Amino acid sequence: MTILSAKNLTKNFGKKVALSDVNVEIPRGRIIGLLGPNGSGKSTFIKLATGLLVPTGGEITIDGLAPGIETKAKVSYLSERTYLNGWMRVEDIIAFFEDFYQDFNRIKAENMLLDLNINPGDRLKTMSKGTKEKVQLILVMSRQAELYLLDEPIGGVDPAARDYILNTIINNYKENASVVISTHLIADIEQVLDDIIFISKGEITLTSTVDEIREKYNKSVDGLFREVFKC
Amino acid sequence: MLRKLLKHEVKATGRTFLPLYGALLILTIFTKVAMTIGAPDFFSDNVTTGPIAEIILGIAFTLYFVLVVALCVMTLVVIIQRFYKNLFTDEGYLMFTLPVKTWEMVFSKLVVGLMWSVVCGLMLAISGFILSLGSFSMLEVSQAISAGYADFYAQFGMSLNVILFELFLGMLVGGVASILMIYVSIAIGQLFNQHRIIAAFGAYIVITIVMQIIASVIMVVVPLANLEAYMEGIEAMNAIQWLINGTTICNVILCVLFYFGTQYIMQKHLNLE
Amino acid sequence: MKWYIDSDRPIYKQLVEQIELRIVSGIYSPGDKLASVRDLASDAGVNPNTMQKALAELERENLVFAQRTSGRYITEDKKVIEEVKKALALTEIDRFFDRMKQLGFGKEEILTLIEKAEEGEDGNDNTQR
Repeated sequence: MTILSAKNLTKNFGKKVALSDVNVEIPRGRIIGLLGPNGSGKSTFIKLATGLLVPTGGEITIDGLAPGIETKAKVSYLSERTYLNGWMRVEDIIAFFEDFYQDFNRIKAENMLLDLNINPGDRLKTMSKGTKEKVQLILVMSRQAELYLLDEPIGGVDPAARDYILNTIINNYKENASVVISTHLIADIEQVLDDIIFISKGEITLTSTVDEIREKYNKSVDGLFREVFKC
Repeated sequence: MLRKLLKHEVKATGRTFLPLYGALLILTIFTKVAMTIGAPDFFSDNVTTGPIAEIILGIAFTLYFVLVVALCVMTLVVIIQRFYKNLFTDEGYLMFTLPVKTWEMVFSKLVVGLMWSVVCGLMLAISGFILSLGSFSMLEVSQAISAGYADFYAQFGMSLNVILFELFLGMLVGGVASILMIYVSIAIGQLFNQHRIIAAFGAYIVITIVMQIIASVIMVVVPLANLEAYMEGIEAMNAIQWLINGTTICNVILCVLFYFGTQYIMQKHLNLE
Repeated sequence: MKWYIDSDRPIYKQLVEQIELRIVSGIYSPGDKLASVRDLASDAGVNPNTMQKALAELERENLVFAQRTSGRYITEDKKVIEEVKKALALTEIDRFFDRMKQLGFGKEEILTLIEKAEEGEDGNDNTQR
């Protein structure tokens, strides 16, 4: 059962090649780390899956469909940008998500806000960058989506919140849903991953399960990553 | 989903406009009161006011003028900003991952933008009406209107309503076309990787120039086609109607071009920062 | 007891060892019901599939058995637990000997050292533990 599939996927920005001939199948029920240094094509890959970008060549499908209105209803996307309007209160943006996403669970969102001490009446523009990121992650994880695409979800938050967030990711997704996490902070998330995809200069260089890597190379994924991408 | 988009669009824009309209109403009433007390004979030929009343009235009118200009400018600014900022900056990451169709997004922004333009016009009319209260009698105005209708019918053999409706339609379509022209320019601007706003302005200017060229070509071509001879044979009012409706049709064509241009770019060449 | 996932060895193997340790040391008593995979995974901060794999391994070792609908239980077979306890002890001893050999001690020396340490510990009234 494949949830996301890319065939000969290529994306160019002008003359710059961002992704080149990527072939990958992501099954359901897995947590996958999309790992690579900055500018390796992680975000491009995720944006192609969300439909924010259109491929230059090849195809990408979610549950067999090209990105579109049906796939957007199944995909929960955390962008690396904070996309929330500053004038909104947290409760406004919750109402917004509730309106547009049928799989949005308000109670879940409210519980998580409570756990992270975020007041639903606060305006987003009064919040720190880290808090905004938390709000965004809460919104994204409060959906019962079939595919979560999380672009750098733990970049700006403190270690305590990071543990909470990772726990939220483990606890919240359905058995048949998959989570793709793009990051270069591997050590922090290694334990929660099933599989990893190494991506470098727009090409996939390795796909494996975490334990396979540990068994085969006698190294953690983080250790292998540091070796493979040594500067 | 369209309904929800419209709802949130109204919510997002209303918070800018409602306070402005409230301020307009308050200022209108204040000015009117100042006029009534300070210069009761304001609408007569020789106005008599005291110096204090003159200052207060002066301030009130200045404020009023500034607010009216601000309202018109804000309407334009919000139309541009809601399209540019909400769709093509970071906020676009949210909007373009919603399970809604591209046309629904464009359409909702267009409808709400148009709505605020109309509301802006209405509010200015209401405000003007309040200010001029007392300078005319309702009876006289309604008599003048019906006399106007009768005259028009006697002269041209048709109801004034027809022309008014065509004019209204023409203005509406013209309004839609000018908003869509802004949209398509912004959409073209975001194709560039840098200086997107300048590129959007550039696109707007280029479109304007192209339209001018096409218009001049039409001007040259029309006499060639010997339409002048045709025009001479018809009545003046028919010629005016011809002009109004011709413009409307041209604007409809422009609307279609701009609209599909915008949608094409948004679907196939989205290039968020 | 906290979960420690820190070495470079496969995560599921580390989970297996730690659950074994919990069973052997009595934190989980024979016949106890285990928490759900998801709860255990959440507690350990690991992926549920990895926890699942660890539990499957424990089932294979007969330390844990699954009841069709009601979940997983710790075995009531004390013999199995005893064997695992011995196996764990042997692994520890192997590791200890390996390190001591790295330090340059021979077998006899090591044994003498252990006896001495044991006496010293008795004299010091357990405070070192």
